[in-house]
Parts: sequence; C-alpha cells; structure tokens
Amino acid sequence: MSDLDFSPEDFSDTARAVMEACATAADLPARIALLAEAGLTGILAPEDDGGMGLALDYAVPVLREAGAGFLAAPLLETMLLARAFAGQDVAAEIAGGKTLATIAWVGEISGQGGVVGRAPLGAEVASVLVFRTDGTAVLVTLGDGAEAQADDSLDLERPEATITVKDVNGPTLDATQVKALLHAAQILRSALILGASEDALKRAADYAQERVQFGKPLSAYQAVQHHLARQCLAVETIRNSIARSLSAHCETPVAAARATFVGSCDLGAFVAENAIQVHGGMGFTWDVPLHRHLRFARTLAAQGKAAELKEDVMQQLLSGQDKEKEPAHG
Amino acid sequence: MTQTSALAVAPSETRSVGPQARAWLDANLPDALREDMLQDNKPTVADLCDWEARLHKAGLVGSTWPEAYGGRGLGLRAHLDISREIGRTPMPESVNSIGKELAGPIIMAVGREDQKLDYLPAILEMRDIWCQGFSEPNAGSDLAGLRTKAEKTADGWVVNGQKIWTSGASKSSRCLLLARTGSVEDRHRGLVLFALRTDTPGVDIREIQSIDGERSFCEVFFNNVVIPEEDMLGSPDEGWAAATRVLSIERATNRMHRSWRFENQLNHLVSACAANPATRKLVEVDYARQLADVSVNIDLLKGHVETLVGSLIDGNEIGPRGSLPKLFWSEAHQNFATLALEIVSRFPPDMSDPLRAVRRRMEDIYMKARAETIYAGTTEIQLGIIAKRILKLNQGK
Repeated sequence: MSDLDFSPEDFSDTARAVMEACATAADLPARIALLAEAGLTGILAPEDDGGMGLALDYAVPVLREAGAGFLAAPLLETMLLARAFAGQDVAAEIAGGKTLATIAWVGEISGQGGVVGRAPLGAEVASVLVFRTDGTAVLVTLGDGAEAQADDSLDLERPEATITVKDVNGPTLDATQVKALLHAAQILRSALILGASEDALKRAADYAQERVQFGKPLSAYQAVQHHLARQCLAVETIRNSIARSLSAHCETPVAAARATFVGSCDLGAFVAENAIQVHGGMGFTWDVPLHRHLRFARTLAAQGKAAELKEDVMQQLLSGQDKEKEPAHG
Repeated sequence: MTQTSALAVAPSETRSVGPQARAWLDANLPDALREDMLQDNKPTVADLCDWEARLHKAGLVGSTWPEAYGGRGLGLRAHLDISREIGRTPMPESVNSIGKELAGPIIMAVGREDQKLDYLPAILEMRDIWCQGFSEPNAGSDLAGLRTKAEKTADGWVVNGQKIWTSGASKSSRCLLLARTGSVEDRHRGLVLFALRTDTPGVDIREIQSIDGERSFCEVFFNNVVIPEEDMLGSPDEGWAAATRVLSIERATNRMHRSWRFENQLNHLVSACAANPATRKLVEVDYARQLADVSVNIDLLKGHVETLVGSLIDGNEIGPRGSLPKLFWSEAHQNFATLALEIVSRFPPDMSDPLRAVRRRMEDIYMKARAETIYAGTTEIQLGIIAKRILKLNQGK
C-alpha cells in the first residue's frame, strides 16, 4: 500500500462530514446510503466487489470518527462483511449499501440452528452473520428461516437484537476467514472506542475550561487537571496500541490486537466515567451525551468478549508459550 | 562461550538484529548474574563492569553511537530490536546507564571532538562510570533553582555547593555536573555543564541508604573544587540548552528494554508458580485475572514505546509526549509489584529454591518500584506536563 498517494488520516475529514450528515438522516437505510456514497462501507472490500481495497489502517480514522460522532449504523460490521465475503455476490451488495447487514457477535448455532445474540441493529437489517460451533459462519437472511428480536440494550445508538435461526442457509465463511474477521474486529472496535474516548475527553476539557467556580475555571484546579491528564494518557494509550497492532514492525500482531481491544475497553470506559465526573451533576443528565459513549464502550466490550479474552491471555501466560511464536494470522 | 561480535555484519534498518542479540545473550550470560536464580552473593561492581564491557564488545551496547566513538553506527530500530532481547534476559540493570544514556548523548551533542574521543569510548568500555550531578536539596523537580556555584578563575573553574540523589556517585569516576555562573535569580540562564573527575580534591561523596537497602544514592559536596577549563561541556548557557534538548529525547527512549524486562519478571513469577504443585493454584485460579491485566498492560506499554520509536525514526519531535510512557510504565509496574508481593507472600515455608528465587526477586522489585513514580519526574510532575503542555488547559491566570 506504500505506493498510495494518500494516508489513512486523509480520510478523517471526509469521515467526520459523513458522520455529521448521518446524525440528521431519517433512518438506518438513509445513513447506510450516505456512508456507501462516500465509499466508507466498502473501504476494505476488494475493488472487484466495488470497494476501495484498502488495508485495515485506513478504516481506523473512519471508525474513530464514527465513535466520536455517535454513528447509529453497524459500520464496523458492514466493512468487515464486505471484506470477508470477497468474491461472493453479497460482498458488492453490502459494500454498495444495497444489503443492510450486521453480525451476531455472541453465541453459535449448530447445524440445526439456534439462538445467538448481540447483533447491533439486528432488528433493522436484512442479513446477519451468525457463527457456527464448527468455527465457520453463515450470513442468514431475516424473514427466511431466521428472525430478529430487538433486545434490551445498553447501547442507545446501535440497539442489539437476538437472532433465532431455524433454517441454516446463506453464503458462508470458512474457519480461517472467521478468524481473520475476529482479529480485524478487535482493532476496529478499538478504533470506535478511541473516537468515543477522544470526544469524551474533549467535552470534559472544554467544560472544565468554561465552568467557573470560586472565581476560577475548573481547569485551574490541580485535582481537575490531573483527572483530565489521566484521561489523556488513556486516550493516547489506546491510540498507540492500535498503531502498534497495525505496524509491520510488530512482533506479535495477534497478542497485540487482543491486548489493544481488552485494554481499550477498560481505558475507554475509564475516560467516559471520568468525563462524567468532571462534569459534576451535569454529567449525570441524559442530555449530556457522555453516557452514550460509556454505554457504547461497555457494549463493545461485551460484543468482543473482552472478559473472556482475559482468560485467553492468562492461558497463554500459563502455557509458557512465547507470544512471539504465535501462529501467523490472515 | 563466544567473545566475537553478535553483530558481525552491519544490518540494514529493515532486518532485525534481534535474533543475533538473543543468541549471544543466551550463550554468554553468566549464571551468577541471572536475576531469576538464587544468588548467594550480589555481583560486585567489577563483575558488572566486566559483563557490560563484554556486551559492548558483542555490539549490544552503544549501537546507535558513531563507530568513531566506539559505537556501531546503527539506527533506533536496531536499538529497539536489541533492547527487546536485553529486556527478555534476566540480567542486572547497567551500573553505567547515566554514562550510556545521559552523559554520552549530551557529550555527543555539545562536546568538542577531543572530548568525544576521550570520554565516549571510555563509557562503552566501562573504563569510566558516570553519575549525574543535577538535583540539589532545594532543586529537585524545579531544577532551575539550583545553587551550586562555578566561578571562573585563572586556574580554571572553582565550584562550591552540594548535590543530592546522585545515583551511583560513589562508584563513579566522572560526574556530569550542572552549576551556575551567576545568581539563583538567573533561573535557566548562566547554567554550565562540566565533566568532573570525582577524585578531584574537594569532592566529598557520602552514600545514602535507600529503602531497598542499597547504598547507590549519594550526596556530593563541592568545596573549592577546581575544574580545568577543558572539562567544561559547551559554553555556559549553550551546554545546558543543548542538554535539555537531549534530555527530552532521552527521557522518552532511555531504558528502552523496560517493557520486555517487565514481561520477563511476569513470566518468571507465573512459570515458577505454575511449576510447583504448592503454588500452581495461585496463578491458575486465585490471581489469574489480575495477572492477565498485567500482561495486557505490558502490551499497551509496548504500544507507547514502539510507536514513539517509530515517530522518532520519522523525524518527529517528542516534547511533552515523553511523559506518557513514563507515567504509564511507572504505575503499571508498581501495580504489578504490589500484586507479585501478595502472591509470593503466600508461598509455603518449605519452599523450593526456584520459589525462593522468585520471592526474593519480587520483594526486591516491590521495594525498588517505590522510586519509579518519583525519579525522572514524579507522577504529579508528569500529570502537570500532560495537563499544561499536551492538553494546554486554561490555568486560570
């Protein structure tokens, strides 16, 4: 990709403008249409499937802006599906925004079907990728052997759904493709959390400099400064860990992506919680959107199974297996 | 045992020198220096100097210094590759890190050619151990308040005053001394740097015992110490200005191996406990979750270090961003040390030698870690730097 004459950061401004347009769009199809028009849904899909064929690092600034801008669309899922189904007809449909799709992140079905959950905006899309117990996955069509049921959801922008599958049919991904998709998802989720955290920190820093108490802005008080400095450290830790995970010089990309995601979940929630604290009583109100970032970070942690991944980290430590000898990953 | 260079062929920036460094360290680290083995006696300064001189001969120290001064003339990427392997090796910290990571780069930036040729190879070959004479009783975090005075006379500079927290001064042969030519009110103006020989008459070095039981810390008193003009580094003002530029980079890159050493400590604790039926449950069950958090933090720390190195290679300024890895590392390591201490406190009284070795190591790490949030700018100073210089918060003034 080094011969490209644009860098991942060149996508930030476009992405920000699209997220702003999406914020006032009528519904999910309208938002996906705006994202597809800007090429963002197909940013990772091969050019043969109507995508831009770019590497993962180009999706990072886009999803960062999506996280900062409260995007109410399954953009991460759309990007990953359009890439994973490369060469199949459905890839172009998803990349072009013609088929609305998402992923049921938790649970697996057997050959006969089953119930899976945590599908962001699952009740508003046409197709859902469902994981199977044998490590493969299938893209089922809702209303055709599969049903979606809107679920209680902590996340307000991307409410989750439970998917009940009775007839298992649709385009499939093999176990290797699923593994690659899950690996990429860890980095891309971290990018969403990075954006949400940056916005939470910016709101907290702005508020602390505007709000005057005892004749001084809150930001003049060292206790408040140190709160904000720790939030800044958390944001930069997420940013640097994403960069390391994507660097050609990273010795252990699999462990790095996992740690980036697990760490981002804790750090992202920390930033949102502390931004609420810096806002005082205002921070606890529904209208101040910090709780939306907090809900998002916590929901992404559940979708990406951050808690379970910590067990994997420990298993690797106990196995004495050198992280650097990790298997190469697609 | 091979004494030949581990880096016989100068590698390009794209090929890792890590595997060669790894092989040399595996073949050459003496058991008596292994921090993961039970040691009856602490290594002496002479033992450590011998080991570090061998590291230099093997090409593992001074990799980024020009060949004319005893270095290898390699880039930062090679330094990172070597640092990773040094970190993964349970060996003692350098007794001359001030020479290698502070005095050396400053001399390279401001020294005269004859000074470079004289001082720099002596650092790498361990003929000179350096200490840093910056902090004073009334100038710790606020270094511009230092009072040690240097007056120019016909015989050279005459220095009077006092330094404190001068790590390793009693073992050192040279001191990177910061003094002022004018009055305290001049603050950052009129500061002058010297390469002082510590055996100069009038230099009085007294050890201070620290909480880990060591006597590395020193107070240094200067009573009419005469320093020849040729031992001044740069001119007054210029020396310090250049030194602060070097310092901002060094703060971000020094002891680049520490994330990997941290990982080595964690792996040592976990593997020693897991290998023994009496302690296996501690790591497999009781503390599994917290140990996983430590492992994640180590990866996050590597993210700071590797991204920063990449940024320096790309020619970017580091500035206040050096505070980020320092703050993250010191707190993560301190939290690990606290957890490790609790785990080893539950070892059975009839513990085996491997368990005794890990307990001794973790107890030592715990006590030493108290200093990590203090030296090189306290946590509070780092948070202030982030608030003022990265976030640029309105200070209300």
